[in-house]
Amino acid sequence: MKRLNNYRITFLLAALLISSAAHSQDSISKQPLLDVVYFSYNNSIPYVQVMARLKQGRKFDPVKGVTLKVYLDSISSSSLMTDKAVTDETGKADAAMPPSLQKEWNASAKHTFIAEASGVKEFEGEKAVTEVTKARLLIDTATVSETKNITATFLALENGKWTPIKDADVKIMIKRLGGNLTVGDEATYTTDSSGTVTAEFKRDSIPGDANGNIVIIAKVEDNDTYGNLSVEKTAKWGAPLTYDSTFNDRSLFGTRDKAPIWLLLMAYLIIGIVWGTLAYLVFQIFKIKKLGRRVV
Amino acid sequence: MKRTTQNKSKSFAVDTTIRLTEEQISRDLYPQKFGIRGKIWVAILVAICLIGAFAYYLQLKEGLVVTHMRDYVSWGIYISNFVFFVAISLVGSLITAIFRLSNVRWSTPLTRIAEIIAVSAIVFASIIIVVDMGRPERFLNLLLHGRIQSPITWDVIVIGTYFFISLLLLYLPLMPDLRILNRDPQKNPRLLNRLYRFGGSFWKGTKEQFKVSNRAITILCIIIIPVAFCIHTVTSWLFATTYRPGWDSTNFGAYFVSGAFLVGAGGVVVAMYVFRKSYHLEKYITVLHFEKMGRIVVLLALLYLYFNVNEYLVPAFKMKKPEEQHLTQLFAGEFAPIFWFAILIGMIIPIFILIFKKGRKPLPMFIAGVMIVIGAWFKRYLIVTPTLLHPFLPMNDVPQSYKHYFPSWQEWAIAMGSLAGALLIITFFARVYPIIPIQETINEQNEKAEQL
Repeated sequence: MKRLNNYRITFLLAALLISSAAHSQDSISKQPLLDVVYFSYNNSIPYVQVMARLKQGRKFDPVKGVTLKVYLDSISSSSLMTDKAVTDETGKADAAMPPSLQKEWNASAKHTFIAEASGVKEFEGEKAVTEVTKARLLIDTATVSETKNITATFLALENGKWTPIKDADVKIMIKRLGGNLTVGDEATYTTDSSGTVTAEFKRDSIPGDANGNIVIIAKVEDNDTYGNLSVEKTAKWGAPLTYDSTFNDRSLFGTRDKAPIWLLLMAYLIIGIVWGTLAYLVFQIFKIKKLGRRVV
Repeated sequence: MKRTTQNKSKSFAVDTTIRLTEEQISRDLYPQKFGIRGKIWVAILVAICLIGAFAYYLQLKEGLVVTHMRDYVSWGIYISNFVFFVAISLVGSLITAIFRLSNVRWSTPLTRIAEIIAVSAIVFASIIIVVDMGRPERFLNLLLHGRIQSPITWDVIVIGTYFFISLLLLYLPLMPDLRILNRDPQKNPRLLNRLYRFGGSFWKGTKEQFKVSNRAITILCIIIIPVAFCIHTVTSWLFATTYRPGWDSTNFGAYFVSGAFLVGAGGVVVAMYVFRKSYHLEKYITVLHFEKMGRIVVLLALLYLYFNVNEYLVPAFKMKKPEEQHLTQLFAGEFAPIFWFAILIGMIIPIFILIFKKGRKPLPMFIAGVMIVIGAWFKRYLIVTPTLLHPFLPMNDVPQSYKHYFPSWQEWAIAMGSLAGALLIITFFARVYPIIPIQETINEQNEKAEQL
């Protein structure tokens, strides 16, 4: 009897597990996620990037084709930044600050960006809001007794004045083709009371352009108050890259007049030895002929 | 005559006891007129050649479009045939040079057979390359504007060199025989007399002449070996220097050379049997010659099988993605029947025939030789074509005809015409010149007599 009860309990547990698994499968619904992120590049015209993703379990799938209306501070036609932004296959769409809103932008140190989605069922009526405080990132380079330093200053607009931001993380990097490279040992530097970070440039041999120019970037990333800021400066600290074309050199893939010397030497030496020997053998035939004529 | 017939079936040891006079040797080995079978044989070969020539005329008129070669398979049956000819030509260096330098005396009756096979094969290897060119009138440009960096240029140079060496190696040992042929002009047609006089009227058989000639032959034998290895190694590099499935191998040179020795030796065995039968040369091409050639052929077949195992098993073990389709097509796909036919007929069955003493008798040897030659021809087809059907970067939206290749009738006719042409050269050579060196046989007979 006890054994039978054990079987019953096992069966019930299994059934429960199966049904709960089935239920959980049904219950994984697609949750729309809309985010607005602020960007400032070289302290010029700011822009926001809106990201549309669908959360399904632990997965985040970007959604293409979401039409977005982006507003500055309030939802009204007068504060509309754009109504034509559509997310691409990465689920992202950008909206730059239009000249018509310059006055509103300059009027305050703090602003709110509002994105309103439409065009895709799951995102119909979805809204996302982000608030930012205006900030500036300045970059400078200096060489002091053969030490190359990069200084970045992070300032926020407070009461109409640019005030240093203390204890903020700033990245200082060198811009490369496939990504950015740290200038020294540290990846991130923390601003001091003057809002400044100083990084020593330790990559002397890094190739630059033809004149040795490299681009140094200071970056603030995903700051809750100030958003994303980046600033670039060109410095002549790289090794000049001279493109050494081998196209006209002697090579195995060159034209016939550009065959490698070693190959020509080897080929002609072999041909010379073999055909020289053959010429000698032909001469031997004539010798045999001559010997034959002597015999009467 | 009765004694000779009895000796046919006996061993070489019995044959060596036969004292043949110089006159008898000269009579036995003197070039003979074609009999009725010979005439039919020549007529068939000429007919095949003419069909091939007509097909080539059509190709010249219409262009390479008459072939079934397209953008994928640009090297078809012609290049397979070229590789086959180059391979079979290598036998000249094996039988003549290697055996001569190793002081292997029993090979004397086979040297001229091997050399004429080499010369005829190399002639048609050169011709078939020109046939493969869409614009043959531009052939000279290859020489005038060829790049020394290209293996194709090396191939042109080395084929030309090998052809010249083979001609010399055929001609120099022939000079003493030309004196014999010149002895009795009434025996020969007028045209042949003129040919014999032109080639060898100056040969008087003096000690000095023999000395110069022997030294020249020894130098030729030394020089032909590296050139022969080069000719087939360079041919293999035409493929191996190209990064494609089935060709991308560091082993290709040795693999080609071993295969060439096998097909060449197989060709010599076939020719030995045919000449022995046709010209009743049982006293000269003996059972022992078959026995010894059988041992060499089985060794070469095992060697080539070993290289085949390396060439196919190692890539198959790794099954790299780009090689997978190519290997699958060979082992179990479209080319599987030809592949397994070539492996079985070209190597495995001949090995089983020749490994036994009874298999090394003339008739089984002839059958094994034919199998090796046929298997070798298909093997070259498999080396060239399937690889081309599997490019690394397939073209988009190509017609279906690009993805499969089966030669057109013109290609078959030209290829068969070239094979017939090579056989025709051998046949006419045997009609004009002694296929077994007369003077060398006499000299060896005299040496044996002195030793006894």
